[in-house]
Amino acid sequence: MLTRFITEVNTKFNPFSAASRSTRLFLANLPANARANGAMKVTTSLLPRTSTEPPMLLIKFKDGKEMSLDGEKLGIKGIVEECDRHSRTLQKQADLNE
Amino acid sequence: MPARLNCSPARVAGRVLRPQSASSLSRASAAIPAVQQQTGVPSRQYAAAASPIPLAALRLPENYIPPTKPPSARPVESRKSQLLRSYTALLRSTPLILFFQHNNLTAVEWAAVRRELRKALEEVPKPVAGPDGGLPVDPTDYIQLTVLRTRIFDVAFKVVEFFDAEAAAGKSNAYTHDLSATAYEAIKKANLEDPNSTYAQISPLLTGPVAALTMPTVSPAHLAAALKILAPSAPAFPAPTRKKNPGYHEPVAQSAFQKLLLIGGRVEGKAFDQDGVKWVGGIEGGLDGLRSQLVSMLQSAGLGLTTALEGHSKGLWLALEGRRTQLEEEQNPKKPEEGEAKAEESS
Repeated sequence: MLTRFITEVNTKFNPFSAASRSTRLFLANLPANARANGAMKVTTSLLPRTSTEPPMLLIKFKDGKEMSLDGEKLGIKGIVEECDRHSRTLQKQADLNE
Repeated sequence: MPARLNCSPARVAGRVLRPQSASSLSRASAAIPAVQQQTGVPSRQYAAAASPIPLAALRLPENYIPPTKPPSARPVESRKSQLLRSYTALLRSTPLILFFQHNNLTAVEWAAVRRELRKALEEVPKPVAGPDGGLPVDPTDYIQLTVLRTRIFDVAFKVVEFFDAEAAAGKSNAYTHDLSATAYEAIKKANLEDPNSTYAQISPLLTGPVAALTMPTVSPAHLAAALKILAPSAPAFPAPTRKKNPGYHEPVAQSAFQKLLLIGGRVEGKAFDQDGVKWVGGIEGGLDGLRSQLVSMLQSAGLGLTTALEGHSKGLWLALEGRRTQLEEEQNPKKPEEGEAKAEESS
């Protein structure tokens, strides 16, 4: 997964619901040094066990684009795909500017 | 269901490594058909024809290994079966387990987390008395943070939750250990979706990378110390200050704690979420504290009850007494009036 162009990740989920699975896996997919030197801001808040609120995943990119993804519907593969689709265009621009 | 053979697997495995003498091998091969004869069809009996082989020879030798099931060549520690057994033992013996999601922690970061955890736990005062007035047990050395293999842990959870070895032992002659076919069938048959079972509540947690903090006793003091390090929250469980514990604020440790996420826990066989775990950590004085709270609550409830019960009768008594005095007052002034009336009549 291309994570160079992600600046902020906001998540909110109830770990006791199976719907939060892909959102949690997305957090686990971020590389070990992603948070280092303030490159990416990751904020996670947990909902109580009884909550039925759907999981929230908000991703902000370097060019200011914000993506709100529905982890329940997309699954982890879908989330990664959506992220990469935008990251690849940013990658292309960065390559051209070099 | 295979009949139980008088041949313990552990002893067999132990003997495998030793060089076998030719005589024991030949004895083993001689014994196999005899045993098959005995276990094959138990209902068929021949009263007249007594077996020429003595009964003791019908037992399989201790070092017999079935040719279809040679012992595993993998080292014991890394076998999945061993891991399953260690997880079932862990789940049965550990009253307090906290589950953490760990997002790509490096080895150095794990070392920092464990170092800080150990340091915080050692600062907790040692218990003065043990449970039920016995010798005090210090759980500090046995509190561990380990990464779980979630799929096997999931199966072990099912075995612990849905398989009752003692009940199964009464039903048939088959093996009833955690790795047995009986256990497998029990968890296959079980209703895993039942929302009342702890397994159904906790199993959604066991996806992705999960680590477990295991504590051998429910000690809120130790739990609070661990929460202050691993999942600090401002008012109740503040993180140690930079002055008090500079190691906690090192960049390596800080980046590790950012990636650890408390997702839930299992306390005394029940599922707890983050707030529930914090509530357990906030109990002052541990189980004894809870007991004293209960005693004081019951005492005050008793007092309240007696006053409440008394109150009504007291009120009734007061009302009746008031009425009586009122009636008496009404009657008493009448008497002089009557007297006056008589006097008037007489006059």
